[in-house]
Amino acid sequence: MDTSTVNTILLIFHYFFFAYAFAAISSYIILAIISIVETIEYKKKNKFVNYKEILSSDIAPSISIIAPAYNESLNIIENVRSLLSNHYANYDVIIVNDGSKDNSLELLIEAYDLVKVDYLINQQILTQPVREGVFKSKNPAFEKLIVVDKENGGKADALNMGLNISTSKYVACIDVDCLLLEDALQKMIKPFLELTEVKVIATGGVIRIANACIIKSGKLLDVNMPKSMLERAQILEYIRSFLLGRMAWSRLNGLLVISGAFGMFDKKIVIEVGGYDTNTVGEDMEIIVRMRVHMEEQKKKYKVAYIPDPLCWTEAPDNYKTFISQRNRWTRGTIEVLKKHRRIGLNPKYRSLGLVSFPFWFIFERMAPIIEVVGIVYFCILMALRELRWDYAFVFFISAYLFTVLFSIVAILSEENTYHQYKKKGTGYKLIRTILLEPFLFHPFVLYAAIKGNFDYYFNKKIKWGVMTRKGMTKAAESN
Amino acid sequence: MNKFLYFIDSLKEEPLLIQIVWLLSFVLFVIIIISIIYLKFLRTHLRLNDKIAEKYKNEYEANLITYLYSENEEGLISSEQQSIIKQLKNGAINKFKREIIISTLLKLLNEISGEMADSIQNLYYQTALNNYAVAKLKSGNWYFITEGIRELKLFRVKDAHKDVEKHVNHSKSEVRKEVQLYLVNLFSFKGLNFLNDLKTPLSEWDQIQLLEELQKFDDQEIPDITLWLKSENDYVVIFALKLAKIYNQFGMKEILLELLNHESERVRLELIPVLNHLYIVEAKEVLKSNFSERSREEQIEFLKLLENLGDENDEHFILQHIYNNDFEIRLSALKILKNINLSKFENLELTKPEAEFVEMVKFIKNN
Repeated sequence: MDTSTVNTILLIFHYFFFAYAFAAISSYIILAIISIVETIEYKKKNKFVNYKEILSSDIAPSISIIAPAYNESLNIIENVRSLLSNHYANYDVIIVNDGSKDNSLELLIEAYDLVKVDYLINQQILTQPVREGVFKSKNPAFEKLIVVDKENGGKADALNMGLNISTSKYVACIDVDCLLLEDALQKMIKPFLELTEVKVIATGGVIRIANACIIKSGKLLDVNMPKSMLERAQILEYIRSFLLGRMAWSRLNGLLVISGAFGMFDKKIVIEVGGYDTNTVGEDMEIIVRMRVHMEEQKKKYKVAYIPDPLCWTEAPDNYKTFISQRNRWTRGTIEVLKKHRRIGLNPKYRSLGLVSFPFWFIFERMAPIIEVVGIVYFCILMALRELRWDYAFVFFISAYLFTVLFSIVAILSEENTYHQYKKKGTGYKLIRTILLEPFLFHPFVLYAAIKGNFDYYFNKKIKWGVMTRKGMTKAAESN
Repeated sequence: MNKFLYFIDSLKEEPLLIQIVWLLSFVLFVIIIISIIYLKFLRTHLRLNDKIAEKYKNEYEANLITYLYSENEEGLISSEQQSIIKQLKNGAINKFKREIIISTLLKLLNEISGEMADSIQNLYYQTALNNYAVAKLKSGNWYFITEGIRELKLFRVKDAHKDVEKHVNHSKSEVRKEVQLYLVNLFSFKGLNFLNDLKTPLSEWDQIQLLEELQKFDDQEIPDITLWLKSENDYVVIFALKLAKIYNQFGMKEILLELLNHESERVRLELIPVLNHLYIVEAKEVLKSNFSERSREEQIEFLKLLENLGDENDEHFILQHIYNNDFEIRLSALKILKNINLSKFENLELTKPEAEFVEMVKFIKNN
């Protein structure tokens, strides 16, 4: 290869990276602005809402909370108690014990006076069969609780069983270890009941990290900032993602994902599309994409709404091994979903879903880690070839770092101006320190997990979910 | 300093792109510093505000309790009360303090009743807080209008209703919603007159809120809902159907039957449970006659009606649906058959031996 060809290739790479970085930064700025506007508007619109009326109303629509559980014996009793303490009037809680190998079922039977009942299941979606049966409580205090014990089939299969069991119009699918605030259901159901011009097919809730928070009897008593960098960086990342990203996509009606930890759905639509896909680890994203495709093909006006209130608190990984395993799964899930629905990309038939949301996810979520790694390799090649212009490299690195820091600060400012959850003195300093160090101490692990996810997707097909070792939120609080 | 000047000088020699990116980095750096300072200020301000608000809240609460217990024997305002009114009036000039006074008054209002509640409402007038709320109604900003209406509703200021009603067709649904709640909260069923010419949608959320407000009143004498059942606005019809069900409007039978042919499926879906609730058996023949033309949801609702109102005359119709492919329709049909002809139901197991069908029959038999 002659020098001019090499130079041309290098020039193409220069322009490609420059254009990619410019597009990414511009889109983040635009999304952040839209998110802030949307969050402020949401706060203003909901300031006067009286949620108490809907609580006690017997004409409020019924909601089923579906929580799959697999080997959750450590916290299952407390977690179910938390789910049963919701203030909404018309709801039930369906715990799907997905073939747990531990004594989760026995613990539930004992703690909640459960007895096996005759229950006719409408098999609208095919699932693994029931194992021990369906259980309900003898104690009227737990009349809202239904426990179904089934053969193991994975989270998606367990959620599908919950959908078959539910007789409600709306279903809230959550992770059993999530802590729901008492008013979570009425805030999530509101868009379904309020919007008249469009059909709301799903609502997503913001997920907050409960590590180091004080939780007692299923109630969040005190919000704290954890000590470890990994947990703090995840808090920052969640705030950035939910308050500066998803709120914007909600306003643009382009949300492609609702966190599997907490989302509410119109059950009829979920059933119409065939329930959760059991062949992907990204079932939470996949169902939203499929529901949207369904509505687009039916040419119906619809919306996937998002609630910025901190309604659901969950335990985040507190060690790098679990963290990498989780992010690896998220990456594989994204790849699987985008691949499965690739026909909608740039397809005008699917309007903004195909022309905006899908390409954005492909370019800035799916491809980002790969492009970053290619960039690092390219950087090394330039160094080896002594072609690296340090004056350019240095200033671009500085500006990229400063932009990242500023973006995180804006996220924190947005949080402080709206929900101000981390009230304690000294937390601001901890957050700033996390913001400054995160690109060096956290981001490399995110990148590594994403690349590993790509590798596992193509070369290690056997790997599925990975293991999340739970400390239990109460214990997590004590140890911090 | 020399090093910085040297850096600036050397930068002038660099290509334009590098100069731009350095400039951008400098701007970002300055914004970051300003943002960090602002974050520090904001967090301190929020923490201090919470403390100050708490202090004022305690102070006002103490004042209000003194006010409530220092009324003189003739029921006239005592000098002590007079001084508290003056103090609160002065405090209300400041927006921050005014908000705390209002929230303290509302908190007390929710905790007490009778003469004391009247005293709090009287105090609201004495301190001229109502003027601030009414002034908000003239604002061009929907948020302030909503805030004003809400306050007038909570303090039950009926004489502002003309100013409030002006916003009944406001372009912002939040304002309309607050107007509706104000009217119903203060004027009970008479407040529902806004439905007569409502052109905008009345969401399910709004309907639940209004119905809950109505159920708080002792007087449950409902006005004539004929006009609303015949409204051109489907949302009004649906709301009227809910009223008919909750308030057992048996007299509306003829109009309800007419609605079985309403063009809106949502109306028909809301109607069938009402017919069921009111035991309007005449609906059965109408629904049977065009059962197959109705949507699946309507069919299911009708079968639920038959679970309640079915009799031996419906047997022929029901037998056509006990093998229906739809789970819910089949389940309902079998339940109805069990109710109206037990012996026939018990013999069904033999005629259709599929496992799923047998399981369903067994389930119905046992439950």
